[in-house]
Amino acid sequence: MGIGRSAISVPPFPSASEPQPSQRSSATDTALKRRLQERLGPQLLGAVTARQDTTEIRIGPTDVARVMTLLHDDPEFRFLILSDLCGVDTGSVMQVVYHLWSDATPDWLRVIVDGLPRDDPRAPSVTFLWNGAEWAEREAYDMFGIIFEGNRDLRRIYMPPDYQSFPLRKDFLLADDAARSPGQGVRHMEQTFQPAEYRRTEVLRQGLGSDAGQMAPGLQTAELASGEDPAR
Amino acid sequence: MTTEQTIRSLDDPDLFVETPGTIYDAIPPLPPRTEREAEFYTMRDGEMLINLGPQHPSTHGVLRVVLKIDGERVVDLDPVLGYLHRGVEKICENGDWHHAISNCDPLEYIAAMFSEAMPVMVAEKLLDLEVPHRAEYIRVLAWELNRISSHALFVGWLALDLGGLTPILYGFIERDEIVEMLAALTGQRLLFNYLRIGGVNGDLNHDFLSRLGDWMGNALKRIEEQQKLLNSNEIFVARTRGLGVIDRDMARRTLLSGPVLRATGIPYDVRRAHPYSVYPELEFTIPTREEGDSYARYLLHLDEIKQSIHIIDQVLHRMPDGPVMAKVPRLMRIPPGRAYVSVESPRGQYSAYGMSDGSDQPFRLRIHDPSFFNLQAVGLLMPGNLVADTMAIMASLDPIMGGIDK
Repeated sequence: MGIGRSAISVPPFPSASEPQPSQRSSATDTALKRRLQERLGPQLLGAVTARQDTTEIRIGPTDVARVMTLLHDDPEFRFLILSDLCGVDTGSVMQVVYHLWSDATPDWLRVIVDGLPRDDPRAPSVTFLWNGAEWAEREAYDMFGIIFEGNRDLRRIYMPPDYQSFPLRKDFLLADDAARSPGQGVRHMEQTFQPAEYRRTEVLRQGLGSDAGQMAPGLQTAELASGEDPAR
Repeated sequence: MTTEQTIRSLDDPDLFVETPGTIYDAIPPLPPRTEREAEFYTMRDGEMLINLGPQHPSTHGVLRVVLKIDGERVVDLDPVLGYLHRGVEKICENGDWHHAISNCDPLEYIAAMFSEAMPVMVAEKLLDLEVPHRAEYIRVLAWELNRISSHALFVGWLALDLGGLTPILYGFIERDEIVEMLAALTGQRLLFNYLRIGGVNGDLNHDFLSRLGDWMGNALKRIEEQQKLLNSNEIFVARTRGLGVIDRDMARRTLLSGPVLRATGIPYDVRRAHPYSVYPELEFTIPTREEGDSYARYLLHLDEIKQSIHIIDQVLHRMPDGPVMAKVPRLMRIPPGRAYVSVESPRGQYSAYGMSDGSDQPFRLRIHDPSFFNLQAVGLLMPGNLVADTMAIMASLDPIMGGIDK
């Protein structure tokens, strides 16, 4: 069902200059991938990966200031806009994830600061480059307990000041949640989800009773059959 | 800083019973938790703290701001968020991907079509799913209509916070027509729940199209009327021009986006900066202003309304035939991976970072709300201004507390 021109009468739109549609494509920018590998080689954890319109690098927490300054200041990269900053709890480690935009590439650049220990996650602040990251880092601190060294206003932003927990951590389970019982244990990004049928048959096969709620934690720690890490 | 130290909640009523003095004595939490807080609550001669909100009509929701004033001048301020915090990201992790659509709706409740697009687009990207062309055009149509309804309300709000009562009535006339139109399309006036993973919930219908036709005929004329009402209003111009000026570099470093950023001269609009949906096929300009003040932001909103009408015009003329939903199963497991999507909402860049571990629930769904970052600019813009002007500055940033507090 198309809409004919006769159905709706629209007054002619007064446009001074007719703009050209953007020439940017959503294909992966291989030149960016190569440049990142050349310039940041020693600092990277693993290779530069790219999927769809996003190029991804992983760095350690000690390299954050150096890598971000290079990406921001270098005329080759010009990642001037920080699109997003967030914390992630993969179930085994904490991460801080940055998404950057540059006019030099059609891709998003995702920088993952990987391997922050869950009992004491610390990462340097990027407020020296983008002072607006202050609140985003406060949010990540509030939700995950990640301490950003160098942020001068790192206090809770959503939860009350006397609150003790970090709600978005994977071991913070909702008591009234019907979809996932606490007995199912903590989800880990590194372990793929096992369908319910699989769990049920596993329980029956092992002859360990029918209380799936108690059995699930042990079964969920089963490694992937292929050995491939989906988080990588 | 010490996290172990137990600090009593300011909401604890016993605090006021036990503390001698007035309620204002309890505003500085003692001891200060950070360097910045210590600096803010160190009072010099003649300075005092006043509390604005959280139930003040001009804060556009439940925002509380502690203002440090010296006479009529604001010296410093400390926004206090969290009064509307619901933990949407946690709720999304505990429901499946389809539940996330309606959970994300009330984030940006003035323009819900943008926030509900987030889980949808993340899931589509993880699935590598191609959305039918007609569905993409319907999405753009709904987005641009929603943008106009949001901008129309912005203009009214700005004038209302400056004491002019008439423009908001005109703004609501405009908004009500669009909202009724979208209700005919989606079944809901405000929280649409219309987008689906793989398309939209229903095709265009006659009721929607006839309302849209009636409205389109007069839309530009009415926008120009509204322009005449305020552009030449001496009081309005005097109270907004040169107020709340932010320069280009500071705007970028403060992570501002949307009209607030473009009013400083940076033409960053996700529809062009990183195109999505069918925006590469459409012709439109990105209006910018150089001044960076409240008046520039107001003018920019009017320019954007005109561009949106231009886009709607093209969409209606190019609307292709075909299905509005891709063939996807109702219950699906999203393949493991990570995806980042971004759209240009009326307030700026709305983006989401989704992670899937292969189950039917999001492993993590991070929602980036532009109002949250735009609101940070009040800390830069307000100091040095009169208390009465804080309203004009805050209204010109157009914050929506639903998204800020998540």
